[in-house]
Amino acid sequence: MDKRRYFAKKIANALLTVILVASFNFALFRILPGDPARLLMPKGKQPPEAVEKQRKTFNLDKPMWQQFIYYWGDTIQGRFGISFSEKRPVTEVVSERIWPTVVLVGTGTIIATGIGIFTGVFAGWRRNSKYDVISTNSGMVFYAMPTFWFGLLMIMLFSTYLRWFPTGRMSEPGADLQGMEAFVDLIWHMTLPVFTFAIAWVGEYHLIMRSSITGVMNDDFALTARAKGLSENTVLWRHVVPNAMLPTVTIVMMNIGFVLSGAILTETVFNWPGLGLLAYEAMTKRDYPVMQMVFLIASVAVIVANLIADITYYYLDPRVQA
Amino acid sequence: MIPRRLRMWILIWTPALIVALNLSTYPKEVPLSAGLEAVVRGFFSDVIARYPAWVMLLVGLAALVPAVLGLARRSKARTFNIVLLVLSLVLFVWAYRAGVTDEGWSLTGRTPGPGWLFQALAVAVGGVAAWFWALGNPERAELFVWNGHQIWKLYRANWQGMVGLGILIVFGLMALLAPFLADHGYLDPNAQIRGDGSLDSEVPLLGPYHPPTTAYYNWFGTDQVGQSVLAEFIWSARISLMVGLLATLISTLLGAAIGIASGYYGSWQGEIGMRLTDVFLVIPWLPLAMVLAAAWGQNYWMIIVIIGITSWPGTARVVRSDTLRVRELQFIERARAIGSGDGHIMAKHVLPNVFPLIFANTVLVVAIAILSETTLSFLGLGDPLNFSWGTMLHYAWSNGAAGLPAWWYLLPPGIAIILVVLAFTFMGTAFDEVLDPKLRKREESGDTAGRRELGAAEAVTHAGPGTEKGAPA
Repeated sequence: MDKRRYFAKKIANALLTVILVASFNFALFRILPGDPARLLMPKGKQPPEAVEKQRKTFNLDKPMWQQFIYYWGDTIQGRFGISFSEKRPVTEVVSERIWPTVVLVGTGTIIATGIGIFTGVFAGWRRNSKYDVISTNSGMVFYAMPTFWFGLLMIMLFSTYLRWFPTGRMSEPGADLQGMEAFVDLIWHMTLPVFTFAIAWVGEYHLIMRSSITGVMNDDFALTARAKGLSENTVLWRHVVPNAMLPTVTIVMMNIGFVLSGAILTETVFNWPGLGLLAYEAMTKRDYPVMQMVFLIASVAVIVANLIADITYYYLDPRVQA
Repeated sequence: MIPRRLRMWILIWTPALIVALNLSTYPKEVPLSAGLEAVVRGFFSDVIARYPAWVMLLVGLAALVPAVLGLARRSKARTFNIVLLVLSLVLFVWAYRAGVTDEGWSLTGRTPGPGWLFQALAVAVGGVAAWFWALGNPERAELFVWNGHQIWKLYRANWQGMVGLGILIVFGLMALLAPFLADHGYLDPNAQIRGDGSLDSEVPLLGPYHPPTTAYYNWFGTDQVGQSVLAEFIWSARISLMVGLLATLISTLLGAAIGIASGYYGSWQGEIGMRLTDVFLVIPWLPLAMVLAAAWGQNYWMIIVIIGITSWPGTARVVRSDTLRVRELQFIERARAIGSGDGHIMAKHVLPNVFPLIFANTVLVVAIAILSETTLSFLGLGDPLNFSWGTMLHYAWSNGAAGLPAWWYLLPPGIAIILVVLAFTFMGTAFDEVLDPKLRKREESGDTAGRRELGAAEAVTHAGPGTEKGAPA
């Protein structure tokens, strides 16, 4: 397919999905039981004038279709209201939480894909060997394991018993470190959350890589490569792995989008001040404006990740370009 | 003549179903040491089978509709339809009895009464219905039994599937027999503190977070208020498994219906279904479920509904792609040529052909649903009145069990979740391999390292197992 047409189609698709998701976001916070004006205000008794005023500021006194238009205007301009637990604009609250999540998720994903792909390749190549059986079954166990439970075990083992690592947070409260020291401190605090996060995904990447290796390793091109007399290692790393990487890369890309919301559990357990912990706090405090924005960000992240996956795929797989 | 195997199945599974249903509603307040007489009386007590009236109305309707349709079409299995009619009558009478309250009849009413009698009668009539169905449709019954037996033979050879089944049977029995394994009184913190002898054992009261001892109720130690972790663990199995199974039921029904419809109708209707699936696929599950659970209140029925309506898109996508394949097959064209309607084709031709896929997928969805329930409960969105493994972990976490460290409170629920999720995953992959001949071939061709060359040669003659993996959806 022509490059421009392919991209235009994918981007149009993504935009359409963004529009649908944002509309769903609009609907979701209006079908919730209770008066939306009250939902957007702190709990407890509020004077009726204040409720009226809130209704006015959020245009909740207008008919539904007008509300819908106003909602779009606000969303595009980035106005999401005031977080009532922090009494600050939601955009501000959310934006300072993005960086920790990116650090945690980024490092965790790199480690998880690295380990998962490597072990998966060998497991797929030596199918049904002792190594394959052991690694694949432990991959299944990691996959079945609740992340938060593993996190709690890690805290118990490394923080309580061994006292090697802190139980949570990004830095000690009150500590003011500079330069290298701050970096080392960050690494020290990061180790357990990143490890927990990575373990949750290693199992999945291992299984995906293994199955895609077994899928391609008997294809014609591998047979040809062997027939040419290439060594098994060359066949594996130069011919089979690049082909098997295609589906894996797509899935990893798509997962990165979900990972933002998947970090909720790791961040909650380790008190890591990212978007996930923010979502949890907003939920316990019923802070709907914050929830609304986090929800939108998490959905858009998935769509953007899907789009990036499609674009990468175009460059990786020449068959799409044809 | 009814096939011998089917006769055995009906004769074994009808009583087994009655016992299982009775056990799942067995009165919680009968103490363990009350003796055989009290146990037997528990089985016939008013508490058994106290379902809300609307449940029986729904099930009754589900029996009435095919019965009336079958009688109207003068189908071969006439007695079967009459038995179904009787079944729906039994259920309607039961619904009426259950709904009678002091303020007149109510849909949610669950009046105490001889529910056990109605339940036994309904299940027995259901067994009779299966019997007469087999008599009326001998060739289909024969085929059904033969298929079932073949699948079981293949399944039995799959060690992962058998391991999964074994684990599941252990936990299923634990959930069903919970009233006989641990006294429900142990889950009431006040009973523990009162120490007024309402608990049946002479176990001494231990303080909060006491490590395990050899006494039965202290096998897993105590929690933050001094309750027996073992009792919580056993009763949790019920909620965890039930939520997983029922949520999967909702999710599969939704996913299969949307998947088949959007795959079968190619034009704008299909497009709508696909868009809907796409939107729900990109909406991250956990934030959505958190918003819904925070807003809709916290009891396990709500959790079931929330997990059910948020986890269908995966099923829908898989079913849709398979429906697209089936739609192009020749017998569909034939059916359309002789004037079959869309509904008929979808129900009688498409559904049976995509059913193996739906089934294998369902087993996998159970694993996801159980994990989902655990996650929601862990975040404090679970049912505060009933224990599940996720709720246990929530209490352990929020009361600092990891910092103590109270390993006896953390390990049991986590290991149970892993085992159950693994069991369903194993069973799902086993069913996948058993029901999909293509996958079976791949298993065999890639069997050993020594036969790899042979497998390669086979891949040349067949289309090659990796071909359909090419492009992303």
